[in-house]
Amino acid sequence: MRNFLEKAPCAAPWLALAGGLALAACQWLIFVYAPVESTMGPPQKIFYLHLPLAWWGLISFFVVFLSGIAYIYSRKPVWDALSGAAAEVGLVLAVLAVLTGSIWARHSWGLWWTWDARLTTALVMCFVYAGYLIVRGLDMQPGRKALVCAVVGIVAFLDVPLVFLSARLWSYIHPPSISLEPEMKLTVAACTGAFALLWAGLTLFRFKLALDAQRLDQSAMERLMRRG
Amino acid sequence: MLSAALTIARKDLTLTLGRGSGLVQALLLGLLLVFVFSLSLQPGQRMTPQAAAAVFWMASAFCQVLIFSTLYAHEEVNGQRQGLVLAPAPVQSIWLGKALAGIGMLAAAQALFIPAVIVFLGQNVSALWPLGLGILAIADIGIVAAGSLLGALSQGQSAKESLLSIVLFPLLIPLFLGGIRIGTAVFSGALAEGAQSWFGIALAFDAIFVAAALALFPAVYNAEE
Amino acid sequence: MLLRARDLAHFYGPRLIFKDICLDLPPGALTVLAGANGAGKSTLLKILAGLIRPSTGSVETGENSRGQKPRIGYLGHQTFIYPELTALENLRFWTSLHGHAVTGSDYAAILERVELAPFAEEKARGFSRGMAQRLNLARVFLLEADILLLDEPGTGLDLRSSAVLLREILAARDKGAGIIWITHNLEEDLRHADSVAFLEGKRLAFYGPAKAFRLSERASVPRPEPFETREARGGEPC
Repeated sequence: MRNFLEKAPCAAPWLALAGGLALAACQWLIFVYAPVESTMGPPQKIFYLHLPLAWWGLISFFVVFLSGIAYIYSRKPVWDALSGAAAEVGLVLAVLAVLTGSIWARHSWGLWWTWDARLTTALVMCFVYAGYLIVRGLDMQPGRKALVCAVVGIVAFLDVPLVFLSARLWSYIHPPSISLEPEMKLTVAACTGAFALLWAGLTLFRFKLALDAQRLDQSAMERLMRRG
Repeated sequence: MLSAALTIARKDLTLTLGRGSGLVQALLLGLLLVFVFSLSLQPGQRMTPQAAAAVFWMASAFCQVLIFSTLYAHEEVNGQRQGLVLAPAPVQSIWLGKALAGIGMLAAAQALFIPAVIVFLGQNVSALWPLGLGILAIADIGIVAAGSLLGALSQGQSAKESLLSIVLFPLLIPLFLGGIRIGTAVFSGALAEGAQSWFGIALAFDAIFVAAALALFPAVYNAEE
Repeated sequence: MLLRARDLAHFYGPRLIFKDICLDLPPGALTVLAGANGAGKSTLLKILAGLIRPSTGSVETGENSRGQKPRIGYLGHQTFIYPELTALENLRFWTSLHGHAVTGSDYAAILERVELAPFAEEKARGFSRGMAQRLNLARVFLLEADILLLDEPGTGLDLRSSAVLLREILAARDKGAGIIWITHNLEEDLRHADSVAFLEGKRLAFYGPAKAFRLSERASVPRPEPFETREARGGEPC
């Protein structure tokens, strides 16, 4: 597993390239292939970006959670590098998901913000993982920081279902879900798949950077060990 | 584990009552919040029950951040943290001890916030008050469980209260929403649909955070500088 | 063996503190741990106490004479004293936390021995450095630990208190405690040691019986200059 993790970043450029091409191709699906939605009109097209952003944001946070557990269990720095990379990418995606969701809300219900359970959950996650990244930036002993971050990452993800349930219970407005035509379903599936490539590419890039930083520290430490 | 936790809780309450500055600071901050929000009202006007309940929980939230940073700061004065970690009891007993002391202090503070909200924000307490007490108890358990876990982040000088609140507040949102909803019912006398579900969510929060804290606290709290 | 350390190495960030450290702590033995400032004595003691994880290597605890896990008493640079509690409350807290049964007369006796009896009910806030250190000693010795790890326990003590400290250390050793003692008064305290561990050049440069240890051979120990005599100044008056 560890070997696989350390070799995986080699695929990052290819994944990112494939993701870029696939997303470009998806533009054709979004604007030409998929029909214009009858009630919302063209603004509905933002949905094809919004849904993959939200999904891959959530998956990033799940990766933070899993690698946090793996770090606490194994104390291998590689897991800390992975959770850091996933959290950064996840936060970017979640912020974009909230922004696109807000634009959607403006056109759908005439408000920039509503207590939609999914939108609220995404926003709360943005706050939590922004806090997480601040903790990552603190000046602490490396091992201790990795532990603290693992703990925050785990607790934060445990909170997701609670936030979702409570936001759903809180809201008076239950936003009507639009019915998707088959072309729309295909388009959104293709976009989600294209985002998967981009997401994996981005995460692996950041992961590789973090691993390189760790490797440099390690070799400096070994050299000192030999000299001392 | 329980006896070590009680020893720590008793010591912390003695320290707080002996000097008191920690709790007094937290109390003042909460009361000030309530007072400042009363300025948003015209003379004779009353705040809506929901806004009043939100102010109450906001006061409680700020109060508990101060409480837990004080509780953990006690152990940094002369390196006592090392002594606590060296004790033979499991390290989780420190979490439990701090949580017990914290819930005592939080409840004491809330006992003052409730009359303050009633007086300054013009609220009435309806016959639904036992529900209010119930959600108060359940929410406080979750708040101190999470607060005692994350308060330990401030170990050493690396993290400050502001950081604790940035990480903690969003996590506590499910409890706050439940507390505000039930609090609204208590102040207005009208119970909205889904009240039982709030108790369910709050209890689930308690269970998840108590379990997470017991599992994770040893990773957060240790003797390193 | 109460404590067994193997192949310890420690880094602080990228800086190597020491490596290749092996130590054994038998019951009833007093080991003096010495070395220049910054040699890593305190870090080593913290690792032995289990307060910090070594970068590599292991520390294992054995069993005490009653076949139990040995209790560790650690005295560091910090006093572990809560300034807002009284001397007695401080002691009560630590003994209760360790689950150690202590009677009222035990508290009175230990406070008497460290000459703090008149201040038992006073808040520790007003204590001088020396008084705080004596209270700290009372805490450590009250726990009747099997392993005593003492990091410059004589700091801030006057001559009389130092004598009390030495008496307590020797009494604990005679009761079967294994003791590691970092001292800044090496020449004086070496006489009482059973063995010596000397950190120099990021290693244990010497680890063996105290009798075989020659302080003057250690490079990092400053040798006292002899006083200038009148003859050396060529008969000139002062």
